[in-house]
Amino acid sequence: MRRGAIPLFAVLLGLLALAFTGIPSFYLVLLGTVCFWIAQATSWNLLSGYAGYFSFGQAAYVGVGAYTTAVLTGRHGVGFFWTLPIAALLCGLLALGIGAVAFRLGSLRGEIFALLTLAVPFILAAFARINRSVDGGQGTSVPPPDVPGWLGDFQQFQYLLAVAVAGLAVGVAFVIQHSRTGSALAAIHDDEDVAEVLGVPTYRYKMLAIAVGGVLGGLGGSVYALQIGFVTVESVFGLMIPLFVIVMAVLGGRGHWLGPVLGAVLIVTLQDRLTSYGLDEWNAIILGAILAVLVAVAPAGLYARLRSRPLLALAGFVVVCGVLAIANVWGEELDWIVAGLLAAAAAAVLVRRRTTTPVPTPAAAVDKTDVDLPAAPLGEIIVECRGVAKHFGGVHALDDVTLDIREGELIGLVGPNGSGKTTLVNLLSGTFRPTAGEIRVGGADITTLAPHQIAHVGMARTYQIPKPFSSMTVRDNVATAIVFGRTPVSLREARPLADRHLATVALGHLADAYPAQLNLHQRQLLEMARAIAANPKVLLLDEALAGLNPAEVDNAVRVVRRIHSTGITIVIVEHLLRVLNQLATRMVVLDRGTVLADGEPRAVLSDPEVVRAYLGRQAHV
Amino acid sequence: MNVVQAVLSGALIGGLYALMAIGLSVTWGVLRIINLVHFGLILISAYLTFQLATSWGVDPLLTLLVTVPAMFVAGAALQWLFDRLAVSEFNSLLVSFGLLIITIQVAANIWSADFQRMTASVNPYATASVSLGRLVFPVTTLVAFVLAGVVVLGAHLVLRRTFAGRALRAIAQDSAVAGAFGVDHRRLSLVLGGLVGATAALAGAVFALSNALTPETAYEWFGIVFAVVILGGVGEVTGTLAAGILVGVLSGVVAVVWSPATAPFVLFTAIILALLLRPRGLFAIGAVR
Repeated sequence: MRRGAIPLFAVLLGLLALAFTGIPSFYLVLLGTVCFWIAQATSWNLLSGYAGYFSFGQAAYVGVGAYTTAVLTGRHGVGFFWTLPIAALLCGLLALGIGAVAFRLGSLRGEIFALLTLAVPFILAAFARINRSVDGGQGTSVPPPDVPGWLGDFQQFQYLLAVAVAGLAVGVAFVIQHSRTGSALAAIHDDEDVAEVLGVPTYRYKMLAIAVGGVLGGLGGSVYALQIGFVTVESVFGLMIPLFVIVMAVLGGRGHWLGPVLGAVLIVTLQDRLTSYGLDEWNAIILGAILAVLVAVAPAGLYARLRSRPLLALAGFVVVCGVLAIANVWGEELDWIVAGLLAAAAAAVLVRRRTTTPVPTPAAAVDKTDVDLPAAPLGEIIVECRGVAKHFGGVHALDDVTLDIREGELIGLVGPNGSGKTTLVNLLSGTFRPTAGEIRVGGADITTLAPHQIAHVGMARTYQIPKPFSSMTVRDNVATAIVFGRTPVSLREARPLADRHLATVALGHLADAYPAQLNLHQRQLLEMARAIAANPKVLLLDEALAGLNPAEVDNAVRVVRRIHSTGITIVIVEHLLRVLNQLATRMVVLDRGTVLADGEPRAVLSDPEVVRAYLGRQAHV
Repeated sequence: MNVVQAVLSGALIGGLYALMAIGLSVTWGVLRIINLVHFGLILISAYLTFQLATSWGVDPLLTLLVTVPAMFVAGAALQWLFDRLAVSEFNSLLVSFGLLIITIQVAANIWSADFQRMTASVNPYATASVSLGRLVFPVTTLVAFVLAGVVVLGAHLVLRRTFAGRALRAIAQDSAVAGAFGVDHRRLSLVLGGLVGATAALAGAVFALSNALTPETAYEWFGIVFAVVILGGVGEVTGTLAAGILVGVLSGVVAVVWSPATAPFVLFTAIILALLLRPRGLFAIGAVR
């Protein structure tokens, strides 16, 4: 059992039992509304929070779910319980449709995805208005279903349904967050391209997240139809729904399952209090202000702040709530509680903590042992490039490159700027597809594979500019790569293995730091650790020594040697010929997209053609 | 004949869409801010035009003398705020969404949520029209089209021909490097924010000439205006006008051939297709960004 599962379950049971305690129906209605929004905000959070694909289209699920129930029960006399799965199914399919369109194109990210999802409810609303078999813009009333007697009256029944849907949604979010899917979505959130190259099937996980979000949103919408009793286009397809959901999730925090729950509780109770004091016209103003201020001040949300200063928040709640209760000059219990919650939230967000930036401890003892293994005997051909070309429009970045890489080699890939080195790395790792030619790894053609499939064939790479997952610790960066590597394991099993790889690159002492606390050299070592964590056969190092000082270069060279000695074939792109000369077992020189020279390092470097390519025609050797 | 009329009227209405979209497109493309409050500024200007004309009987077009400077200041103030907050491109969408909600609610609190329209006595333009043979064009759409043309032409010339325009394009590409070469990012973006605000005043006045106002209208603009921005290519001023005309013609023709209610359905479907095929916009050739 995960930490948090038992309290979560207890709260759910408590809420369900509450219906039968004879609590005033006002509270049941309020809690039912809270639960509706918890379900919606959680549904939204699966794709938009965990994976970072912000959506303005939550109203599409609410609308389709609500209309499914309204039309089927109100016009065709279908029993309410039958409409729940139908609504869930339709919304799941709708979500998959949106995903299939949007995720096929790498360019539909960020703002463009958000605006695309904004259009979806507009289309559906127009469809509902013009289509007489939906409602032709008239609105549809939902007849109350026959409630089994043991579930109490209609009021209690609605409440129980809302709690059940919210419980399901939060439970699903909880499970997802602690599963492989959660790790995958977090990696996609941080850097989707890197996640794909490390072996995460990003398309599949995004489809999963959007579909589950759609199903949960549709269920919630279906129950919502029952709560409002009369479904109109304006009430279910309106922009207030995405606004509420976004404000709640941003307020609560998007990375954690509890975030949207916190946000929903706070916003709904606040709205209720404002309405009860006749301040309806301030509702939207306060919501808008919360959104604007929070994004600018505390974009990570309440949950993270509460975790870092729980006592302060608790003190705020107790003091404000207690003082109001004791003084008893204003309001009633609910007012005091809401005021206390607001005080706690304000205390957590606004009070600045003295920033104690943890300074990474220096490496205890820099490992100077140099593994100088005898060059391993060359094995089978592992990578074959046959006539590989890559054109960008009229630019021929690579032309007819034919190259074999044997197991156990350490190849230095050199060439002047613009000669196509990085393009070749991108082709080998699947970031680009070749315009012509064939690349085989271990005999299998990889030119049509997605990057994550190429990773699973045994290819790993690093980036010239390190791209760590910024929301994870150094250890979890490496562990994520293990989880989605060639032999899948769970995150918990992966963490000790990650420490081993960190030791290989001499980063063990920084396992608990975050990437932002690392310097360039350490980040490049982290790139290497993450790349070897996937248990690759071939490692592509793209300018792994760029921008380092001489001592750091020496350290990096030792690390590369150590990795090579574990039996991984390495291709290293580098400008420092002096270093490569000692490191590489073979040197390949690219010039203007073609292979200029290929062979033993010393011989290649004294080749007059190579010298000319580097130093120009006039150079005297 | 009906279709010819629909095409031409649609093209003219497209002028209004372009007028609304151009400010959004420029702030997004040049300043890297997705400024949803722009819709709020358009709404407030429309209400100001309505209020000034109704209370004091001013000619609605003369109210521009008040609304344009007011919105210039508002636009510049917003830009100052965004600059101070230093939010990312995506977060600017959220911050401005929050600010838009506030603006719309304030408008609702002042002018109520009911529909408001200038009476014919203060608004001579609403009923006037120009006829060419059997084709009839309302004066309001002609005004919108001419204003859109002037704004687009002006913006195009400024961006392409002047030093300030070149500096703005440099900012669009890399504001830090532009700053290193002596481009005063802050002052230029304040001025640009102000000018964008001024276009909101124009769009608002034109909208108020021919439409009844309700605060919720601002949300209804969302879909169509963003469609114009994206189809035109973010930051592309001439592309925005072309996309506005295209969208106007498309919805006009669909409304006549099928029914007015199907127009948004067909339109948004077409936009999604366009987005999939040309994600950087139909008219983005040498885009600013």
